[in-house]
Amino acid sequence: MNSLIILLFILGGGALLSYFAFLSKHAFGQAVVWLVAIASPVYFFTQVAVGESFSFSLGGFELALGFNHYSWVFALLIMVLSPLSLIYSTGYMKSRLRLGTFYFSFIFSIFGMMGILMSRDLVSLFIFWEIMTWASYLLVIYRGKDVEHTGIKYMIFSAVGAYSMFMAIVILNREMHSFDIATVIQNFGNMNAADQWLTGILLLIGFAVKSAVMPLHVWAPGAYTNTPTSFTAVFSGGLSKMGVYGIGLVLLNLYSHSDFSQVGIYLAWLGAITAVMATFRAVFQNDAKKLLAYSSVAQLGYIVAGIGLGTELSVFAGIYLAILHGAFKGTLFMAVGAVERQAGTTDMTKISGLIKNMPWTFFAALVAIIALAGIPPVGGFVGKWMLYEAAINSEHMFLVILIFISSTAAFLYSFRFLFGLFLGQQEEETAHIKEAPAVMVVPMILLSLFLVLMGTFPGIIFKPIAAGMAELGFQGVPWHMSVLYNMWGDSVNLTYVSITFGTVFLLGLVYITLIARKGTKHKLSTKDIHTAGEIPKPEDNLNYSLDFYKPFERVLSPLLKHKLDVYYNEFGKGLEALFNFMRRIYTGNGQTYALYVVVFLVALILLSGRIFGI
Amino acid sequence: MDDILIKILGAIATVILAFTVGMTYGGLSRKVIARIQNRIGPPWYQNFIDNAKLLFKVSNINHGFMQHVAPLWLIGMSVTTVLFIPVLNTGGDSWYNSWFPNLNFHGDLIFLLYLMVIGSLGMALGAGQTGNPNSAIGVSRGLTQMVGFEVPWVMALVALMIQYKTTSITGLMAAAEQQGTWLAFSSPFATLAALLAMPGMFRYSPFDIVGAPAELASGPVSEFGGKYLSTMMTSGSIFAFVKLTLYVDIFFGGANNLVELVIKTFILYMYPVLWGAVSPRFRTEQAVRFFWGWPVLFGIIALIQASL
Amino acid sequence: MVANPILYIALPLFTAFLVPLLAKLWKPLVRIVPGLVLAYLAIMSVVLMQQVSPEKPIIAMIAGWKAPWGINLVFTSFSGFIASLISILAFFIWLYSFGFKKVEFDDAQKYFILFMLLTAGSIGVVLTGDIFNMFVFIEITSLSAYALTAFYKGRDGAEAAFKFLLIGSFSSIMLLLGIAILYTYTGTLNMAHLALLMPQVPMHAKITSFLLFFVALGIEAEMFPLNGWAPDAYSQAPGPIAASFAGILAKAGIYALIRVSYTIFDLGDHGGFELLLVMGLITMVVSELVAMRQENLRRMLAYSSMGQMGLIMIAFGLGTKEGIYAGLFIMFNHAVIKSLLFLASAYLVYYTSRKKISDLDGFGKLLPLTSLLFGLGAFAIVGLPPFSGFWSKLSLLIATANSHMEFVLATVLAVSVIEIIYYFRVLGRLYFRKAHKEIKVRKPTWNSVVTMIVLALVIIAVGVHPDFITGLLHNAATDLADKADYIQKIIPDLFSQTLN
Repeated sequence: MNSLIILLFILGGGALLSYFAFLSKHAFGQAVVWLVAIASPVYFFTQVAVGESFSFSLGGFELALGFNHYSWVFALLIMVLSPLSLIYSTGYMKSRLRLGTFYFSFIFSIFGMMGILMSRDLVSLFIFWEIMTWASYLLVIYRGKDVEHTGIKYMIFSAVGAYSMFMAIVILNREMHSFDIATVIQNFGNMNAADQWLTGILLLIGFAVKSAVMPLHVWAPGAYTNTPTSFTAVFSGGLSKMGVYGIGLVLLNLYSHSDFSQVGIYLAWLGAITAVMATFRAVFQNDAKKLLAYSSVAQLGYIVAGIGLGTELSVFAGIYLAILHGAFKGTLFMAVGAVERQAGTTDMTKISGLIKNMPWTFFAALVAIIALAGIPPVGGFVGKWMLYEAAINSEHMFLVILIFISSTAAFLYSFRFLFGLFLGQQEEETAHIKEAPAVMVVPMILLSLFLVLMGTFPGIIFKPIAAGMAELGFQGVPWHMSVLYNMWGDSVNLTYVSITFGTVFLLGLVYITLIARKGTKHKLSTKDIHTAGEIPKPEDNLNYSLDFYKPFERVLSPLLKHKLDVYYNEFGKGLEALFNFMRRIYTGNGQTYALYVVVFLVALILLSGRIFGI
Repeated sequence: MDDILIKILGAIATVILAFTVGMTYGGLSRKVIARIQNRIGPPWYQNFIDNAKLLFKVSNINHGFMQHVAPLWLIGMSVTTVLFIPVLNTGGDSWYNSWFPNLNFHGDLIFLLYLMVIGSLGMALGAGQTGNPNSAIGVSRGLTQMVGFEVPWVMALVALMIQYKTTSITGLMAAAEQQGTWLAFSSPFATLAALLAMPGMFRYSPFDIVGAPAELASGPVSEFGGKYLSTMMTSGSIFAFVKLTLYVDIFFGGANNLVELVIKTFILYMYPVLWGAVSPRFRTEQAVRFFWGWPVLFGIIALIQASL
Repeated sequence: MVANPILYIALPLFTAFLVPLLAKLWKPLVRIVPGLVLAYLAIMSVVLMQQVSPEKPIIAMIAGWKAPWGINLVFTSFSGFIASLISILAFFIWLYSFGFKKVEFDDAQKYFILFMLLTAGSIGVVLTGDIFNMFVFIEITSLSAYALTAFYKGRDGAEAAFKFLLIGSFSSIMLLLGIAILYTYTGTLNMAHLALLMPQVPMHAKITSFLLFFVALGIEAEMFPLNGWAPDAYSQAPGPIAASFAGILAKAGIYALIRVSYTIFDLGDHGGFELLLVMGLITMVVSELVAMRQENLRRMLAYSSMGQMGLIMIAFGLGTKEGIYAGLFIMFNHAVIKSLLFLASAYLVYYTSRKKISDLDGFGKLLPLTSLLFGLGAFAIVGLPPFSGFWSKLSLLIATANSHMEFVLATVLAVSVIEIIYYFRVLGRLYFRKAHKEIKVRKPTWNSVVTMIVLALVIIAVGVHPDFITGLLHNAATDLADKADYIQKIIPDLFSQTLN
């Protein structure tokens, strides 16, 4: 049997099996989840390879599956992140209800994602896309919070996106007489300009919804927040990358030979604006999970900007950032989930100082935050650097400034996140909190070690990305294990950075630990602080957590006043009024209905000349 | 082998130079401010004394691991940056010139910008762990201010990078050498934007909102003393040197020898100090609004100029 | 076994009259015998469907008279497909109704008699080759439908039945008038013969007659603005009957409409298809928008059902073979999925007289299986893969795109979004709300569970492997598209005369 089918079978079958296993016994269910979490990546990395393909006919459509080098990059991300999150889930979701539904939807959405990546024709792409969407919808509403608002919003936007994609697909089929992606690329020139633009825009809308590009992003913060955190790691880290994958596919592959690829630069702008606005919103969140949700939207903005810009380096940066974002946002959501599980809340005004209670979680979060902020010597820097250089090299200077504002402001929420949860006052009420169980900590630590590794040896994943770039028309992209080059030949050697910083840091550590060692008082309570002579009473609140960036908020207030959400809601209300008006047609009165019949008949007869052309 | 040895020795020499110059400037600035305020003020070497005193303090207090390592982030960052920027022009012919090459010859500006953040982040985390509310307030102000001044600063840099088609400091210096004038003259608006952003980096009044002595009891560092404060002071001095050298390198033609470097950097240093001596403190949002006003406008003009 | 299309009509009619007599022997026979008969018909459908092909329709003559003089039943790939669908569905609805409500003996007897009449009439409409016969069968169907609507004695049921009756009588009159006009000009009632002679009919008469047919059958097919009766009838009739309205009655109506438009009148290319398309579009948009604002579950389903009928009209209104294929696919899906939804909803609103959606909070826990099946139906009807609804939507969209109708394409998709909203709103209530206090639920009986699970399995099976039915659909589409072939097969002599 074909290895692709077996992989899909492991995932799809695992999803169903876990549902029924949880119906019978909790332990069975756990066992199935572990089995899937181990079997699917093991099988994927040992048996599946680029170039294998599988064609079959279903319902009169010729469908084809198979990875290419481009989708392989994303598949790597999914197949690392998802199993880790699944394992994490077994700890995080303990003693929750409806686990069957949860794991079914979880694994089924992985199934959908892998399916999307191996689809070589548009019909199967769409099928898997829809499967992924509804499976993730079930998870968005899983906790039953705010179902009518957030859940429906997610579904509406997903549906709008999916259906515009659907429309593009059938129009493409009309022009090409085929759903095959390769054929579409080949025969592209035969299409007239109007159809090119129509289908291109529609496809982009479809993919942009999932990658949360403004103005289609409004579902994202709510949906990311409401999802059980162990899935949010995959949702934000992996699932949103399907949109990125699609945007790359459309701009650089399907439409690369037409004028339509010019649209990329506008998309890049949208991405950059998304990044700025979402970052500003993230800065003022008091809930750690919501903060990360907004941050995800912002980070996706960079990635889209990179892909949209369309130069060799920028696309490279975009894909790299997509992978890295999967790793660090996955870690961060896992960390927040650990806090949520152990402390019961993610509200940063309620908890603080968890570093002593949860040191491992803190470590993982710290590394991930450094990666997110793009600070060397952790992997996130590599992507940021390439993105900036690409934008500067192609002289899109205002774009650079936008991205820069966003990533500088990102330091604000980065610090807020770490400070709010892990640093600050250690209170009596939080003293009982313990570190999360190993099944949750180990995946986080693994991911964070990966991030550290990327800081010096990003070449490890440059290799598959460079291969994938060839698929997009960038042949022979140069890459080095740990030196970055931009298009003007300027470079950064990461080993120098890591060695220098590491040496100074380590020497310093020895020095600062040894000097005056005896007189150094460790483990002082955080109540024992310098307060300029005033002695704080026990009931005094010494934690600064509310209105953390108030001055910044004051500066930005004119910008933040308008929320896109409001306009959508107004639009929705307008529609509802229309629906209500429509409803009045059905008066419930028999005579009226009879009148309709007569009037309709008379009208038809009167208009018959018009209708039948005589 | 010799090559590496020279590099390591040169690196050490660079750090020592940076430390000495930075500390001296710190002492001088105290003296200058005192004179302006009609006081006698401490001697110029006062900072050396203070640093030594702190270093030999017997009892030190820390609240946890992050606070313990916070100064190391700072010193790691400032030492790394000083090694990555060219201290002297390559064209200089003094005997000591070969001691100060930067490690990564194409020392990249974007890289440097990000490198310079490591310290603030480490400091912020360390301060955060102490649990002192003043620390957290100071950090939140500091980060806000950073968003403020980084915008015109980056605009200026991007304008230069695009204008001269290079992203490295050495590239910019070579460009200046080639055209024969300082970049301050060929790109006046970028220079203006960068100069207006500069006081934000040095955190003298009116931008001393982070430490805000009377208000926050010195802000982020309020829980740091003894060896920790001494390390931070060292790092701060080195970093001051880094910033000044960077400005000189980019905008004012670099320096061919140490004397020229000292003169140029000192003049440049006096600008935030003197401005600070006569200004009251801004509120945080005022500071940000200041940076997002004229400096950003100059930055935009610089960008437009660069693209022409 | 004896497999003859005549049995489709003869057996249920016969049973309907036999039931009161059987009741005298042993009362439970009233419930059992109809089931046996329907099972027989269902099996017969499978047998006949294997025999039939577009080249070889099964034509049964009543009393040995050949067409066009005698009355004949035509079991082609197209009509046979619909008839089989109806008969199989009817069997499952019987299975479901078997123990649905504990009612008096008299009521049960009445129920099963009417249900048999409804089935017989609907299959008759589909199979008959005679236009007047079709009228008669429509009357039989309608009369039993009125009675079933008023099955629960009460003001609401009576009012709904009255509305249905009022509109239905309009339908009858118009149908009769239309037939009369045709008969005046052609002197025949056989559909094939009518189609053959249609070029002789003057244009104005043809159009008037067509419009009369269009409106009359539009009423049965729930076309806007003629569908005022539908929401009331759907919501007042017993649960399984609502399912059979969607799966059986409406199918017969749309079949008649299509048969008349495609085969008898040759107006398709002169604007007939456009008219169908436009009315389908309006029907779909209005119904789905109204469905969005419904608070009553059954009414919501009813409006959604009307929306689907609009979709079917759009598909057939495209006038291409692809369109026909899509339309048939939607008909199939609608019959199966909507039946499942109505059947599941019958338990969900069993004890609530108002059948409000807001009363459904937390039913996911109270009635897990029923809710799950309802959810599955909702997923399928909005066209999410891997359920059967997806494939019909896909084929409809392909057909629409290939006809260069971007506007229709966009509208259908936009309306689909609305559909998703209101279905998922219900699901949200079922699963993610706390149940109201003191809510009474009725556990589904085993036979209704079997029914619903079978329907669900069909949905999943076709969704995962659509090739189960695509062959049948292709044959049916080929059959309907080739009008000349239809005429030739039924009245070969006259056809060859005309050709010469």
